[in-house]
Amino acid sequence: MIDVKPAPRNVIAAKVPLDQRKTMIEFQDVHKYYGDYHALRGITATIREGEFFSLLGPSGCGKTTLLRTIAGFEGISSGAVLIDGNSMENVPANKRPTNMVFQSYAIFPHLTVAQNVGFGLRRDPRSKAEKDKLVEESLEMVGLKGYGARAAHALSGGQRQRVALARALILKPKVLLLDEPLSALDKKIREQMQVELIKLQREVGITFVLVTHDQEEALVMSDRIAVMFEGEIAQLADPETLYRRPNSRRVADFIGVMNFLPARVLGEGNGHIQLDVPGLGPLDVTEEQASAAPNGGEAAVGFRPETLTLLYDGQTPLDREAPGTIDEVVYYGDMTYYDVKLDGVEKPVRISMRNVFGRPVLDVGTRTRVAWSPGALVLFR
Amino acid sequence: MAQSAWSRIKHSEAANGLALVSPTAIYAILLLAAPLLTIFAFSFFKDGYLTVIREVTLENYIAVWSDPIFRSILLRSLIVAGLVTLATVALAFPVAYFLSFKLRPERKSLWLFLITIPFWTSYLIRVFLWKVILGYNGVINSGLKSLGLIGDGRLIEDPIQMLNTVGAITVTLAHAYAPFAILPIFVALEKIDRSLLEAGQDLGESKAMTFLRVTLPLAMPGVVAAVLIVFIPTIGDYVTPELIGGGKLPMVANMIQAQLLPLDNKPMGSAIAISAMAVVALISLGFVAMNRRYLRGAK
Amino acid sequence: MKLPSLRIYALAYLLFLYAPILLLPIFAFNDGTIIAFPLKGFTLEWFGQMFANDTLRRAVGNSLIIAGSTAVFATVLGIFAARAGSRFRFPGKGPIMGLIMLPLVLPEIMVGGSLLLVLLSVGIELSVFTVILGHVLIATPYTIAILNTAFSSLDVSLEEAAYDLGEGKWSTFRLITLPLVLPGIISSMLIAFTISLDEFIIAFFLAGNEPTLPTYIFSQLRFPKQIPMIMALGTCLVALSIILLTIAEYFRRRGIAKTGGKDTGGFL
Repeated sequence: MIDVKPAPRNVIAAKVPLDQRKTMIEFQDVHKYYGDYHALRGITATIREGEFFSLLGPSGCGKTTLLRTIAGFEGISSGAVLIDGNSMENVPANKRPTNMVFQSYAIFPHLTVAQNVGFGLRRDPRSKAEKDKLVEESLEMVGLKGYGARAAHALSGGQRQRVALARALILKPKVLLLDEPLSALDKKIREQMQVELIKLQREVGITFVLVTHDQEEALVMSDRIAVMFEGEIAQLADPETLYRRPNSRRVADFIGVMNFLPARVLGEGNGHIQLDVPGLGPLDVTEEQASAAPNGGEAAVGFRPETLTLLYDGQTPLDREAPGTIDEVVYYGDMTYYDVKLDGVEKPVRISMRNVFGRPVLDVGTRTRVAWSPGALVLFR
Repeated sequence: MAQSAWSRIKHSEAANGLALVSPTAIYAILLLAAPLLTIFAFSFFKDGYLTVIREVTLENYIAVWSDPIFRSILLRSLIVAGLVTLATVALAFPVAYFLSFKLRPERKSLWLFLITIPFWTSYLIRVFLWKVILGYNGVINSGLKSLGLIGDGRLIEDPIQMLNTVGAITVTLAHAYAPFAILPIFVALEKIDRSLLEAGQDLGESKAMTFLRVTLPLAMPGVVAAVLIVFIPTIGDYVTPELIGGGKLPMVANMIQAQLLPLDNKPMGSAIAISAMAVVALISLGFVAMNRRYLRGAK
Repeated sequence: MKLPSLRIYALAYLLFLYAPILLLPIFAFNDGTIIAFPLKGFTLEWFGQMFANDTLRRAVGNSLIIAGSTAVFATVLGIFAARAGSRFRFPGKGPIMGLIMLPLVLPEIMVGGSLLLVLLSVGIELSVFTVILGHVLIATPYTIAILNTAFSSLDVSLEEAAYDLGEGKWSTFRLITLPLVLPGIISSMLIAFTISLDEFIIAFFLAGNEPTLPTYIFSQLRFPKQIPMIMALGTCLVALSIILLTIAEYFRRRGIAKTGGKDTGGFL
């Protein structure tokens, strides 16, 4: 359960493990200033061929700026951006092997769907018939077969998104850049498009770089995610590692919900760390569970709401248990969130319970026991 | 240094912007700023017969300001412009309010279009039409006559003398500048977040009080703009005093024109123009200052 | 504040705006030399007089040359300024744009008078050309106002997308920017044309001995005998203005619809 292994989603490329594939994009200590404002602070990272890579972070963290340095819309102040081994210095956006899906989709409103999709083929030497065929194939690929003659401004949000995808992919770029492509869609269509984008990426095998502020979207779609704060990459990892082993409280906070309890380090040795955590008592964690990034301040243990379980009468815990009182109940239909005050701790911890048939929703004030396991904890120190 | 062409373009944004604006800016500097400065300079020169003596003097200004005719003409211009402004803005506000608050969005552009059409049609002809309407044998008088209201022993003895009065000038100008007043007020009203009005009523104010405490203060920037945009051009109007005032009630513009063209006293004409504009600028600035608290944060 | 009373007021106001214009055709077709009620009968005589008048024909020719040139030059200058104003930040932007837009509020007598002074002292002879100079100056702010809307409703990422798909700077402008702002450009030209066609003061100052439509009309207003013909001429002018404005409005709306924007109303 603690064992962490990257699980590559890309089926074609998965024959070759991610870390053995060739580098598609390389950032070498990239800095970007806007006047005095330091927008990118030394970005160093590599993105592999055929990878679905996400840049995740709150607004203003520099993720869009970083994406636009790949596209060539944004210059950099120092460092280097390489695509497929070639420096992109002095290569303008229209000469780069990248294409972009814009946040607003940027569908040309005065052209038809087919003219939009075929826009980039204008300088292509192939015959008109061949180009038309290519456009038709691209439209079919995104599920818009037969839409070619329609006026672009008459399309729905989801359809615009597909046209934007087809228009960018028809040029067979080495890298497809997606700037918050799903943020303008409503929830149902967004979730549907997430699945379709994953399938599409597997099909074409092109490297996708996605910018998003939605952590769920990033977790669902990506092979790897770079979490960015204030112009820096805070953690770069596969979704599971990011979720289970965030390397800082900040990353942990940004991705999902995490409970924190203050901890006191009693001692360490033999790859183990002994802790005392009020509410849970003395416990042992392995060094692997300790967060790598320095956090400053006091040590704390963190755990996700779903790693805790409320014990009903007569149930025995798999590992350990702690007594407490239910402070707040939030009912979500399929889930119930309980805020439980562990005995001796003022701040409640959040616990999520699946509403299995026959299991009652408990009331505020109920005395309860919380099952937990030291193995599910993350130590921040 | 990795700099793409596009980014270099973006980087020199200032240079690009300046380069782009320069043809228009140079045109405005050569044909607007320079002439205005010239007029300013001329106002300090001496008028020699058929020539201008380039010698700095305040004579023109002294002559202008000690001239009772100039003072009375300026005063008349100010009064007319003030009356016109008051009338247009007061009459326009309810229309702007109606347009902004009482119309469905898709109807708004039609109404705006209808209101702007007269504004774009020949000013000269519109002014002249008022002469036709208000004249001694004009539309109103002849209309009243054919209704049998004018004549000996009737309701009105003689045809009404309307032309050549300040009132006639005011009505004509108010009509001419009406759309000018509606548009800025309409724009200001459009910007008001409608939920603010609901909030006002939700917080216990009546509709009328909500209008006074929320709508009106928020519409003030538009009202101020409307006042300026009507007041400044009206004071410099030439056609209306000439046609409706019959040349007997000149305003500043007529005086400037007389000095510049028939009398050919350019320094004097310049001094009158500069003096009048200075007065207008002072009044405008004073008005803006008075409304500063409404204008703060208006943009 | 009852709903219907406000609507009635607005309609009355509209009637007040249009009342004088409505008189034009009435007297243009009235068979009487005096502009007064009661009406006499129907005639086309005044229109016939109008077409037979040589000076008037010359004035129309001059006015068309002036308005056409003004439309082109003011729109070109407007394109530069609107593009710079809506896309770029640059030092001195406020004062520069302020100066360019100044003719919107400056009394025309100031523009005409000061230009006259400069042109005379530089020794340029007054002609149709000098009127164009002045008209471009006063029409440009209006073209900027129209073109600003056209340019700012254009999504920047459309141009970026074209660039991203391999087009250069110029071909991006030709393939994307120009077609999308074209309705705005046409609308701007029509407005500038209308402004110039109707402008009196500047033409009065700068035309020298050349008649333009408004200066010709002004000169004829002194002669009561000419008034019916002027009414006919006015009818034609107003009809032309309304047609031009309607076309301009059509293009303005089409431009907004094309770029997917929302109609916020009027020209200004």
